[in-house]
Amino acid sequence: MMQKNIDNIIAQSNDLRWQIGDEFHDNLAEGIYADAAEIVKASVHKPNENNRLRLDAKIDKIITSKTWGFPLMFLILAVVLWLTIVGANYPSSMLADLLLETIHPALKGYASTLGIPWWLDGFLIDGVYLAVAWVIAVMLPPMAIFFPLFTLLEDFGYLPRVAFNLDHLFKLSGAHGKQALTMSMGFGCNAAGVVATRIIDSPRERLIAIITNNFSLCNGRWPTQILIATIFIGAVVPSSFAGIASLGAVIGIAVLGICFMFLVSWALSKTVLKGEVSTFNLELPPYRPPRFWKTLYTSLIDRTLIVLWRAIVFAAPAGAVIWLISNIYVGDVSVAAWLIQSLDGFGFLLGLNGVILVAYIVAIPANEIVIPTILMLTVLVTGVSGGEGAGVMFELDSVNATGDLLRAGGWTLLTAVNLMLFSLLHNPCSTTIYTIYKETKSAKWTVVASILPVILGFVVTFLVAQVWRLLM
Amino acid sequence: MEVKPKSACDSCAHFNAAGLKKLGVNTKAFDHVIALAGNPNTGKSTVFNALTGLRQHTGNWPGKTVTRAEGAFEYNSEKYKLVDLPGTYSLLSTSEDEEVARNFILFGRPTVTVIVVDASRLERNLNLVLQILEITDRAVLCLNLMDEAKRNHIEINTRTLARDLGIPVVPTSARYNEGIPELIQTISEVAKGTIVCKPHRIKNIPKNIEKAVEHLSTEIKKEYPNMPNSRWIAFRLLEGDQHIIELLKSGEFEEYAL
Amino acid sequence: MNTYNPLVALVIFFGLSLLAYLLLRPHKGWIWLIKKGSHSNDKIIVEDILKRLYHNENAGKHLNVNDIVRTMRQNDKMVIESIDVMVNQGLIRMEGDVVKLTKLGSEYALRIIRAHRLWERYLAEKTGFSKSEWHELAERKEHELSMDETNRLAYKLGNPQYDPHGDPIPTNTGKMAKLKGVPVSELQVNTIGRIINIKDKPDIIYKQILAENIHIGSIIRVVEKSATRIVFHSEGEAFKLAPILAGNITVSILEKDLSYEEDVSRLNILKKNETAKIIGISKEIRGESRRRLLDLGFVKGAEVSIDLLNPLGEPKAYLIKGTSIALRNNQASKILIKK
Repeated sequence: MMQKNIDNIIAQSNDLRWQIGDEFHDNLAEGIYADAAEIVKASVHKPNENNRLRLDAKIDKIITSKTWGFPLMFLILAVVLWLTIVGANYPSSMLADLLLETIHPALKGYASTLGIPWWLDGFLIDGVYLAVAWVIAVMLPPMAIFFPLFTLLEDFGYLPRVAFNLDHLFKLSGAHGKQALTMSMGFGCNAAGVVATRIIDSPRERLIAIITNNFSLCNGRWPTQILIATIFIGAVVPSSFAGIASLGAVIGIAVLGICFMFLVSWALSKTVLKGEVSTFNLELPPYRPPRFWKTLYTSLIDRTLIVLWRAIVFAAPAGAVIWLISNIYVGDVSVAAWLIQSLDGFGFLLGLNGVILVAYIVAIPANEIVIPTILMLTVLVTGVSGGEGAGVMFELDSVNATGDLLRAGGWTLLTAVNLMLFSLLHNPCSTTIYTIYKETKSAKWTVVASILPVILGFVVTFLVAQVWRLLM
Repeated sequence: MEVKPKSACDSCAHFNAAGLKKLGVNTKAFDHVIALAGNPNTGKSTVFNALTGLRQHTGNWPGKTVTRAEGAFEYNSEKYKLVDLPGTYSLLSTSEDEEVARNFILFGRPTVTVIVVDASRLERNLNLVLQILEITDRAVLCLNLMDEAKRNHIEINTRTLARDLGIPVVPTSARYNEGIPELIQTISEVAKGTIVCKPHRIKNIPKNIEKAVEHLSTEIKKEYPNMPNSRWIAFRLLEGDQHIIELLKSGEFEEYAL
Repeated sequence: MNTYNPLVALVIFFGLSLLAYLLLRPHKGWIWLIKKGSHSNDKIIVEDILKRLYHNENAGKHLNVNDIVRTMRQNDKMVIESIDVMVNQGLIRMEGDVVKLTKLGSEYALRIIRAHRLWERYLAEKTGFSKSEWHELAERKEHELSMDETNRLAYKLGNPQYDPHGDPIPTNTGKMAKLKGVPVSELQVNTIGRIINIKDKPDIIYKQILAENIHIGSIIRVVEKSATRIVFHSEGEAFKLAPILAGNITVSILEKDLSYEEDVSRLNILKKNETAKIIGISKEIRGESRRRLLDLGFVKGAEVSIDLLNPLGEPKAYLIKGTSIALRNNQASKILIKK
């Protein structure tokens, strides 16, 4: 009985829809706004119709001007990145000193006095602890600087203007202007960049922003780029230009990343994402002076610590795996050595080597531990003296010593260039992959976002290696 | 069923500061559920933080809070759970955040819905307010960012506004904690039924649509006599909202309509 | 590594890439073709013949077997076989040389047309595919939708009466609103009309019309007519079309006193420091995009002015109901204003 009536109501509503036609939504929206206008007329008194603050208009005029808009934007981005990278050096080395140089030996000493078996001690302290400590030391300081700065700009209202200024460029590649921000956020951390895509309210453009965020060089990868560029790129030019050359190389890689971002965005919007709904609108909110301390606090809690926590959760098992593969032996060789051997051929084809590929496989959880892993594995396979034992990641104090070790591992300029390229173009770290899954709730897009960059990385490094070998 | 317009001064005298306890994220046992709705960029999250003592990030961005945040406070020994809904311009579209907000107000059955609006942009914000008033009849309008409105020399007569909307209106500047005590007091009075709302219903729609809405709404009322938002359901049916149609078919509305 | 040679490696790589491209390329890739081939091609031919007959009979033209074979882009033998099958199934009958639809056949044809137009409507409202792709996608989908699926689709879309080109959609009982329009090419100078239909066939002409940025729902006034071109004003712009293009645009003629407003223009033409009133949003903006704009306050009667110009030209920010909202030019060009 009841059900029949409800079916009846639905049937009636269908007939009525047919009678009313397509105009219903328009009429309703217009009606609501007409009511709103009447109500406002009765109770609100405005001095003049145009109620935009004069100060706001002035700021906007400068920020979006043809002359100043873009220089200002690049200046601000450069300052933020400079503060992040340079400013993070000091706390990073302090943290490294504390966690790696002081606490790690102390823990080891403590463990041996307690008589803990070597494998447990290695697994927990050399594996899990060391990986987590490394991630904290490398990741925390830049994020603690980058996110508050970014959040201050966001709260002030500057970022929507950046999206406004840049939208046309992004439109050309089928993306949304707000992707400029999620991309910049990716320079801090890709996982945070992926979360930030929530501000893009058009399904197609949001997916594009999520899938291409990994092309922003995140702060876990900056140190790798800088180290390799300093050792290998700086060495090929006269020493007075070494600094500039290596800096140029790193910036070149970051810019290349942006180019790939545009290219892949364009390709996605023209192919697989063609049918996704696409809308555009961008509100330019009034400027509001940010509350400095509060912003600092909330961005630290909301962004930095959450991301750091996720990274730690993923890094811990990675540390364990790294220790295990170096210490578990099958026959005469450790699993790590066996893996390196079997990947060496493929690595050579890409202008890389087995050590790098194994390091990238085990370091999926966090880009921060790639270099320490590479160093440890290089010692493991070459037998060069150095390091602290199988499965114990380490870094050398001097850049020269690192260079010597890598060259002893067979590295050339080609290896360095391709490592820099591969560090840009490989799968996102597992924190980011997990975040992509949470944001898209789709296994398909998560797989695309994870596989696509690594395929690109293979293709690009492969081509570079072949052409290099043909020419050199 | 008289409407009692509530201006800030009416309630300050009653506000019992000693009875307020901000409970942060402790949202276990509670007596009332309060939904917090509003456009993006109206300082909704600031109001949320001011009420709960939490420090949710408040970005100067539309669409920041995509998932709903929850918090709680205790006032005069009654516990209130506060749910911060995603900031939306409207409830008529099909985007994810609007769906979250719409479903919560419709089915979450909040005791009171607090609608945060930007005092300087009232007309635009009323779009959402009027839609919410079609769904629920227990609401409070939080006229936020009064400081900015004053700087723009915008004057708002809260009494006429409350009369026209049929719900209490509380002016606030949540950034400076101004008006928050009055807001809490008003929420508690609406929750307890001391203030009875008689919300505005959308008037300016063409005759043929109004007739269709009337007709459907009466039919729905026959099935569910206690449904407070039959007009809204009629709107959604005319819009062809599959979600609502499925719910009606599956009979799940009976639970909500009690 | 002895056999390794970078050149060989490159050749192998490009060879594999080419192979992958040939295999996987959509619509023309081998895998695609194999998949398509295994589908019942016969059904598609039968349905396409029915459609062709229906459209021609509606236009008062009759086709013979030769005409059909000639116009179908299929293997001739298969088409002739299909015609035989169709006669046996009672979908068509032969009257001498002429092929005619039976009642059963024309019902079937209407079902296909219904599926096609509904799917176009769906693509327009619920997806991001561009206008120029709707027809081709619907051409494929119309053969895949069962009657039940078609009805469910119609229901989901609110049983629409017209497809996005302005063509009527047959109801599930086979009823179809008649188009009572006149092609623009036949209009006299000074006639005022509203565009109600833009034919999506042939493809070349349709794409030219799209490039002119002419939309359904626009009101036009013819100002010049000659054998070589037709000029009309619409929404603040002048359009010059060749008769063959104009013939594919249908308008319903409006009474003169239903004032045509010469000063109606589009939001993208608004200049800095000008204020205008919004008259409406073009029907070309559909689905989610349309709802968004309405929600943001771009409703009839709202006042709008330019708030900020963009260093790159677009998007521009418009001040509407006290807030600055940036829109791209292709959106703004579909919002009608009166200065």
